[in-house]
Amino acid sequence: MAIEIPNRLEDLPVEELRWVGRHVRRREDPSLLTGRTEFIDDVVLPGMLHCAILRSPFPHARITGIDATQAEAAPGVTAVVTGADAQLWCNPARTAPEGWGTLCLATDKVRYVGEPVAAVAASSRYLAEDALELIEVDYEPLDPVVDPFAAMDPESPLVIEDKGTNVMLQRVFTWGEVDRALAEAAQVFTESFRWNRLGANPTETFGAVCAWDPLTLDLTVHGSIQSPSSFGLGRAADLGIPSNKVNVKSHPHGGSFGGKGGARGATIACLLSRKADGKPVKWIEDRTEYLTAGGSQAWDRHYEASLAVDEDARVTALAVTLVDDLGATGEGFGAISAAKPLAAFTGPYTIPVARYDLTLVATNKVPASPYRGMGPPPHFFVLEQMMDIAARGLAIDPAEFRRRNFIPPDQFPYTIPSGNEYDSGSYEEVLDSALDLAGYEELRKLQAEARTEGRIVGVGVASAIEPGVFDWNAYAIVGMPQTGVPEGATVSVDITGMITVRVGFALEGQGQYTLVSQLVADYFAVEMDAVRVVQLDTQSAPPSFGPGGSRLGVAISGAVLGACRRLAEKLAAVAAGLLRAEPDEIELRDGRFRVKGRPGSEMGVAQLAGTMLARSDLLPPDIDPRPEATHVWTAPGRTAADEEGRAKSYLTAAQAVHVVMVEIDPDTGFVEIVKYALADDCGTRLNPVVVEGQTEGSVAQGIGAALFEEYVYDDRAQPLTTTFMDYLTPTVNDVPALDKAVVVTPSPFTPLGAKGCGEGAIHTTPAAVMCAVNDALAPLGVMAREVPASPHRVWELLRRSEGPS
Amino acid sequence: MSKAQIHVTVNGTVYEAAVEPRLTLADFLRGDLNLTGTHVGCEHGVCGACTVLVDGRAVRSCLMLAVQADGREIATVESLAASDGRLHPIQEAFAEEHGLQCGFCTPGFLLAVHELLDHNPDPTEELIRDVLGGQLCRCTGYQSILRAVHLAAAKVRAVRTADAHA
Ligand code: FES
Ligand code: FES
Repeated sequence: MAIEIPNRLEDLPVEELRWVGRHVRRREDPSLLTGRTEFIDDVVLPGMLHCAILRSPFPHARITGIDATQAEAAPGVTAVVTGADAQLWCNPARTAPEGWGTLCLATDKVRYVGEPVAAVAASSRYLAEDALELIEVDYEPLDPVVDPFAAMDPESPLVIEDKGTNVMLQRVFTWGEVDRALAEAAQVFTESFRWNRLGANPTETFGAVCAWDPLTLDLTVHGSIQSPSSFGLGRAADLGIPSNKVNVKSHPHGGSFGGKGGARGATIACLLSRKADGKPVKWIEDRTEYLTAGGSQAWDRHYEASLAVDEDARVTALAVTLVDDLGATGEGFGAISAAKPLAAFTGPYTIPVARYDLTLVATNKVPASPYRGMGPPPHFFVLEQMMDIAARGLAIDPAEFRRRNFIPPDQFPYTIPSGNEYDSGSYEEVLDSALDLAGYEELRKLQAEARTEGRIVGVGVASAIEPGVFDWNAYAIVGMPQTGVPEGATVSVDITGMITVRVGFALEGQGQYTLVSQLVADYFAVEMDAVRVVQLDTQSAPPSFGPGGSRLGVAISGAVLGACRRLAEKLAAVAAGLLRAEPDEIELRDGRFRVKGRPGSEMGVAQLAGTMLARSDLLPPDIDPRPEATHVWTAPGRTAADEEGRAKSYLTAAQAVHVVMVEIDPDTGFVEIVKYALADDCGTRLNPVVVEGQTEGSVAQGIGAALFEEYVYDDRAQPLTTTFMDYLTPTVNDVPALDKAVVVTPSPFTPLGAKGCGEGAIHTTPAAVMCAVNDALAPLGVMAREVPASPHRVWELLRRSEGPS
Repeated sequence: MSKAQIHVTVNGTVYEAAVEPRLTLADFLRGDLNLTGTHVGCEHGVCGACTVLVDGRAVRSCLMLAVQADGREIATVESLAASDGRLHPIQEAFAEEHGLQCGFCTPGFLLAVHELLDHNPDPTEELIRDVLGGQLCRCTGYQSILRAVHLAAAKVRAVRTADAHA
């Protein structure tokens, strides 16, 4: 039987909501604030060994010999593994696109700096690292593949010889009559852009403790793992064991942002454990390992884009060509970041036709991974620069140009050319809120004054969509054919009326256990303290993916509300028996199960649960005496992708407008953000303080992306950003004060009308900051086409604007 | 490797320990004393997650060796809350202002703020930014942390005034 999940706050069975939709303090905080939360590096298991990994210093080299005998005899060492062990016990990593994987330890050759070559398990990390020094590896350096365009040359050296090419995927997706629209346009604007590699860099790196029994082949993995069930399937595939032999227990982790990575390291720790007779082996990636070769690096992109516009300044077509440098293998699933823009290809606009010419290329860099937003942030950077270029060309105010092209509120649900459907939105209202909040006209005045003083000041207005509640079908074009991403929860009441909710994911910062407690507390009208949230490992949890793709807030709400509903139906059946009524005469209101139209005839949750567990003599026959129910939620109405990649994929489409003012220092090229205002609409806010926190954090990451974060490689593919001194993430002094406005257009399709909002502002921030930078530079006749617009790049542009000297 | 004898006071408890000279203070606190509230984010002195107080001064425990702590007094995040579980005003302020998301950076922030407010319970925004400039947080974007520090300062001042009148 279909379980109805309330789409509106008013549909919850209480007169007045006490928790949902209110600023609720997080339940997870006291233990985090006192240092009690058990992160993965805090885990100590009996007999546990520590792993250290020997990594390649070359981007591309043949391995001609490896000798680990001295390391094996070193103090404290229990096991050493090399490529030979991987050949014995492992399969090549599963990848997207399919067939671009290698073993977890290099065998015949290394393909990027930092690629694991050997590993040691010893009684301490110090001793394990000592032993690495004793392993001798002979390398024969090969020419590295560095530039993705050169990599496409048939004469180029090959990253994976067996493939016969470095091109992982090349396809053109055409949605509608794009050529005709371009030919018939009043004007077509074309420009090229470059987005450099950057990445998640959560404050805690990846870590895992793996125990693989050599006899039974049972495998237990503890780790800072974003998606425990997927991670378990990945290890089963890597190690060639049945998936039900793997049990994954994720621990609270210090951020993830999609770039936690760790798959290779965990598989290596598993091999070490097997060789060490099943002893648990802890692998904690250090920051330098993470920066050099971790699961962080994303979006190394070369773009060309064309935008067609008619006489009325309406955009009639968008064509985007993307060459994406995915690094040495497909194991990081960075390819999904190239596919995800399909979920919001034309942004918030009514662009009727579009084309995506996509090439994924292998080079001797670290395999690309996801990062918050998973691909649309660079896409929107490009789209929004094109919108500004067109507005400038047409001499229309950029805010007005966007307004003219917005999808109007009465056209939702709205299907975009690349196939996804947007649920709802109020784009003009969001634009007006942002412009008002920013004092847009005043900013333009200030800008004009500044310009008369010779200062370089710009204002950017950008809008973007945050696709929410991901579905695999969005990535069908890179080899993910599934539809639906289940998330489950079990709600049970004990004999004293206390409630426990069991879920399958760990905390990573978005306050989801608090959200679960809010929902249950309001559903049954109890105190939040009466609800406890417990995390299960993968062998006991209901189907669960966990956080990712701006989904968990919505998905876990669906799971919890569904489980509450199922539980309420069970309790109602018991109440009906005890109160001598029909089950459909019973309604739940304010925590009481009452007989409709018979005042006083009612029972509470605790009383019913207590009866089920302790008074079987009173129960109606055929009642399942467990005051417990499970619900597994998947997004309704999703469709499999067609040949052109079109599907109803992400369930929600949140929208935002950011207004940014910048001033550029003419001597240094440094971009200072002097004003930042934003308005966003992510539907119902279930815990507004948490949503705000996601926005603020995501703006900071977006500023880093726009202005300074970058993984730099030299022209021989050597990484140059291997410490936090070189890879710059924003500090408190890089993030301006934010003015924020909220618009709420509830989603008609989701639990309580909430939309995915976890990835948030990073969809809009880089675009908005770069619009402001280019608005500042426009009078000088130069354009920043490359992200990040770090001081040296902007300074270069300023110098060029002065003409040849 | 030969070991050195050290004598340290951590959160009010005296420890005598034999440690390898190369053992970092962070690893000593976490591994030997099981005080895992001190976190390690970079091990090269940039992120500030490992910040502890040594004789009242904020120090990066990943850059200090355990042997250098000989004879000193150390406070970690585990010392902040009262023994009955009541949070310290700084911790309270972080909870109230949503000054943490994943919480991994938080112990370092708490101790850096602790040092700041010990010396100046009424710091300017500029001074706060100056002190926090050495602590990285990837989750919050710092806005809520700034709000939390202002609130913490007000709470600490209130406690001091109350103490003065008691
Ligand atoms: S771990 Fe010590 S500063 Fe980062
Ligand atoms: S709260 Fe996650 S790093 Fe600061």
